Amino acid sequence: MNNKLLDYALRVRLPITLFVIALAFTVTFYVSRAERDGIGYQPDQPIKYSHKLHAGDLQIDCQYCHTGVTKGRHALVPSVNICMNCHTIARKDKPEIIKLTEYYKSGKLLPWKRVHKVPDYVYFNHSVHVNYGIKCETCHGDPRKMEKIEQVKNFNMTGCLNCHRNPEKQLPYLADVKKGPENCFACHR
Amino acid sequence: MAKSFDKSGTKFWKSLKDYYDDPEILKKKANEFNDGVTDDFDPGKLNGISRRKFIALLTASAAFTATSCTDYRDKGEIVPYNKRPEEILPGKPNYYASTCKGCELECGILIKTREGRPIKVDGNPEHPVSQGKICAKGQASILNLYDPDRLTEPVKGSMATTWKKADSEIIKLLKSAVDENGEIAIVSKIINSPSTLKAIEEFKTAYPTAKVYFYEYFGDDFKRKAWEKCYGTSALPSVKLNEADVILSLESDFLGREGNYIENARLYAERKDIMKGTDFNKLYVVEGGMSLTGMNADVRIRMKPEYQTEFLLSLINELVAGNHVPGAYRTGEILNTVGGFTLSGFAQKYSVDEKKLTELVKDLVDGKGKSIILAGNTMPEEVHVLSNLLNEMLGNTALYDYSSVHLKNTAPSSNEEMKQLVEKMSNGSVKVLIHFDSNPVYHLPKDLNYEENARKVPAVITLSEAPNETVSVSTYTLPLNNPLESWGDSIVRSNVITLQQPVIAPLFNTREKEAVLLTWASGDPEKYNFDIYHKFVQNNFKNGIYTKNKFAVDFDTFWYSALHDGFVEVNGEQSPPNFNISAVTGISPSVKEGISVHLQPNYYLGDGKFSNNGWLQEIPHPVTKVAWDNFAAMSLATAEKLGVTFNDVVKVSVNGSEVELPVMMQPGMADDLIVVEGGYGRKNSGEVAQDVGFNINTLIVTATASPFVLQAANVSKTGKTYKLVSTQEHNFLVDPSLREFHKIRKIIFEGTLEEYEKDPKFLKEEEKVLKGITREHEYPGLKWGMAIDLNKCISCGICVASCNVENNIPVVGKDQVEVGREMQWMRIDRYYSGEPEDPQVSNQPMLCQHCDNAPCENVCPVNATNHSPDGINQMVYNRCVGTRYCSNNCPYKVRRFNFFDFRDHFADAYYQNDITALAHNPEVTVRSRGVMEKCTFCIQRIMEAREDAIREGRELKGTDVQTACQQACPSNAIIFGDINDPDSEVSKYRNHDIGYHVLEELYVKPNITYMAKLRNTRSEDV
Repeated sequence: MNNKLLDYALRVRLPITLFVIALAFTVTFYVSRAERDGIGYQPDQPIKYSHKLHAGDLQIDCQYCHTGVTKGRHALVPSVNICMNCHTIARKDKPEIIKLTEYYKSGKLLPWKRVHKVPDYVYFNHSVHVNYGIKCETCHGDPRKMEKIEQVKNFNMTGCLNCHRNPEKQLPYLADVKKGPENCFACHR
Repeated sequence: MAKSFDKSGTKFWKSLKDYYDDPEILKKKANEFNDGVTDDFDPGKLNGISRRKFIALLTASAAFTATSCTDYRDKGEIVPYNKRPEEILPGKPNYYASTCKGCELECGILIKTREGRPIKVDGNPEHPVSQGKICAKGQASILNLYDPDRLTEPVKGSMATTWKKADSEIIKLLKSAVDENGEIAIVSKIINSPSTLKAIEEFKTAYPTAKVYFYEYFGDDFKRKAWEKCYGTSALPSVKLNEADVILSLESDFLGREGNYIENARLYAERKDIMKGTDFNKLYVVEGGMSLTGMNADVRIRMKPEYQTEFLLSLINELVAGNHVPGAYRTGEILNTVGGFTLSGFAQKYSVDEKKLTELVKDLVDGKGKSIILAGNTMPEEVHVLSNLLNEMLGNTALYDYSSVHLKNTAPSSNEEMKQLVEKMSNGSVKVLIHFDSNPVYHLPKDLNYEENARKVPAVITLSEAPNETVSVSTYTLPLNNPLESWGDSIVRSNVITLQQPVIAPLFNTREKEAVLLTWASGDPEKYNFDIYHKFVQNNFKNGIYTKNKFAVDFDTFWYSALHDGFVEVNGEQSPPNFNISAVTGISPSVKEGISVHLQPNYYLGDGKFSNNGWLQEIPHPVTKVAWDNFAAMSLATAEKLGVTFNDVVKVSVNGSEVELPVMMQPGMADDLIVVEGGYGRKNSGEVAQDVGFNINTLIVTATASPFVLQAANVSKTGKTYKLVSTQEHNFLVDPSLREFHKIRKIIFEGTLEEYEKDPKFLKEEEKVLKGITREHEYPGLKWGMAIDLNKCISCGICVASCNVENNIPVVGKDQVEVGREMQWMRIDRYYSGEPEDPQVSNQPMLCQHCDNAPCENVCPVNATNHSPDGINQMVYNRCVGTRYCSNNCPYKVRRFNFFDFRDHFADAYYQNDITALAHNPEVTVRSRGVMEKCTFCIQRIMEAREDAIREGRELKGTDVQTACQQACPSNAIIFGDINDPDSEVSKYRNHDIGYHVLEELYVKPNITYMAKLRNTRSEDV
């Protein structure tokens, strides 16, 4: 009887238990990888644009191109005419700029790959954050060092609340920073 | 009448069934929800297409899953403009001033567009007449633009053709008509646009045999004709209603559908403002049916419409005999006309309450020069003549404002002209018939036989935005731009000229109607370009208004500033004309025995133009609360006499035509009277309007003095029944176990002005200290709250329309309204009190009260509804799992559950198409099936204001936000703001002596304050 019970426990119960634990661990591990939150996402863009060159080396201000960032919800990916402000003259013989000029001249739309995204039931607003003095790098990493733009922080609700709840930790550069709103209607409506 | 909720024993009731304690209603009250509301979902009841769609969706979602597995990190694309237009900032709205072309009032509007697509229409705040308000039709007109049923291509016969081909063929037809000297008849609704009229003139120059016929549907033609007779001009002065102490309405629904009712409501409510003191006006309404204005009456006298002439004659005689009028009016002509009529005789003859009449005479005499008598548009000419005389006699003409005169640029053609037209159509002398954005087959009197004769015309060309009855008799059907896609102008008031500008490029292959005429006039289809009418309006402006008024700036500056403002103000002062006493000679009443039928326009559908607009079909009728239908409203006694009750169908035959209508028993109506509203029963009109309600235009004939009051009708029971759906019995706030509970439960507070003047705190005597069982929550800082002034509220339903548009409220359809699944976040509760024969009406807009101790929040198992630090009851759709506990626990019954994805469900996905989806407000989530929703205090507007405040580096103030309902309210009855700020307007209302909260004793601490209605009646009045 005792033997039988031990036999059952070892031959049936133990492997099942171990399998379940291993499976749970694997699934949890797989699902909770940072990559699942989009961290490290670095798609190829239709034009090989370098933030490192423009924002880093040439030190062009973010807002020269992302014109909407203090005015409204969207930071705005620049329309092609903004690129052409410089590139009608600058480096117009380079293959990528020729590609860009073609887009501009033909009036075709330039389909940039989206890197950062919050779900569409989140009503995120750039201007509210930027006008409080929050730097772009806090959420976007430092594009000045990125040859190809990449997501470095997590853009889920935990990511938002981390900062809304402990702004003094996340935004050390802002003196007397207040907590962000935590109520539902702050982002969802 | 004393305080109505306690000692006096006044009983409030919502419907007749409620009044008589119908077992059905008792059951409804006992149950939290209507029967059928919580019925289980039955997939077997879905129709075949839905099932197919389900499989399609299943496949699609499988495909999506497959793709997302391959690259689950892909987030799609961001596609910026190639060359961004300077004025467009994605995510920010742009506003354009324009003119609403929904009806002949042509109000100034401000259109909100997002990324180039219009999403909301509101009144233009700077427009001197509109002052930021428009009607429900204007609010909902956005859905007409995105109506998938619109005409999209030019059609010849039943084949699609091109504009160029159609134009060249039509030009050939027109030229040959001129050569044969055959008439080219243009049939149009009346036109108030000088540029449109000029375009027609150009067309007539090119084709000299062209003749234009104008018509209107429920217009003010009788009023204008009476003015012509009395004053020699048909231009009506505007009335300074805000200066009138006494208003006497004779079948005039001036707050609901007559004159510029939006302006009227504002001026009327200015004198119902408790914050400005107790100088209230007093509204007498003498009417047969129960109208919106009648519901708001301080004193209401019910009387059949055909008695009005005799009533006025008696009233005038009373004033003349009592020496209350100047000697000039006691002359032979008047004495001859009115002699022999006395008020007491009148009261006896028609069993009218004489006490009310005596009171009326006293008030009119006391208020000489400060009272106004308004006669309804559906009344015959003689009633208008007599009321003009009465206003003259009492010196009330002092209230006429001749600086802003109601103009009408075209007069409707007379019955004779119309008969001649039909005659000519019949005998072949009309070669080409052009329907210029009109629908005569539906609108024109039946005895003209328009449809039959139109078929005899060799070429019928119909220009229309949407399919209609007239399209079915047409050779060519040419699609028109929506007003939001068109240029135009308009003069309806002598002091304002308004401009109309397009805010979106035409969605379909359509053109402006004037552009079509101008192309034909040029004789060459190649002459058309999209700018043709724009240039024409501009030139017309330059040569007309600009030159005439000698503006000090160059034309371009003038034009662009006019476009920016949407209007130009000019001096429109006219000199007051003299009254011609002889106009009253020979007026005598003609009253026939039997039941009369009174035809009225509908509040929301207009002339049928808005019938295909689901939002407007679904706003409950302001009085009966019936949605999606018209009906024969009659008093209880009349119904009893006919042996019919609710939903029985009666056959109404009069003047040789007949119509079958369902019965709606309406408290407060005159006996032997049936009131019916038009705009329903459309054919060939798009999916929504198709066969909704009954076409009553078949009752209109040319022969009668007023085609709207039809005497000696034959009404009989048919034995059939037809289900009307009314929202009045949904959402009961009262408990059935105690019949008198609603008196104790504080839902409606009412009193009289007299009581308030005696003791301003008369409503507040029984202060009770209420205690909660939970910890009190503190709200430091800003806290949102609303006040609704029931003295100013006229229950027009415009707030509901505005809320629908702003918050993406779906249309659910008649079958769903029937089971109580309407989705509107706001409703206007209507309570009667007193006897059903002659009740008083109380109205109360009801929406989420955003209670501090919200009962809904405690019962949500997933915390999907909770409170924000600024006092808003939040509803989070993503968290909601659809238990509906919150709705069950809400004492106000303001929560709405998505039993379906209504965009998918309604009339088999009518709503779900690429076009209609464009009407959605991108700032508000489109809710899907299985979640609860309710009023959010327009959180999107609050957040937008907060964003602006942060950008400008200042604190958010209560006055920064206007909710959609508040913005739309024509009588400014809704106030919104910060209740923690003691100086804010809303906290003044909140702390006012007559401010109260509904169901205060539940201690849910609502944040909506109602101002008790104070009736301006003297204690001996009623």
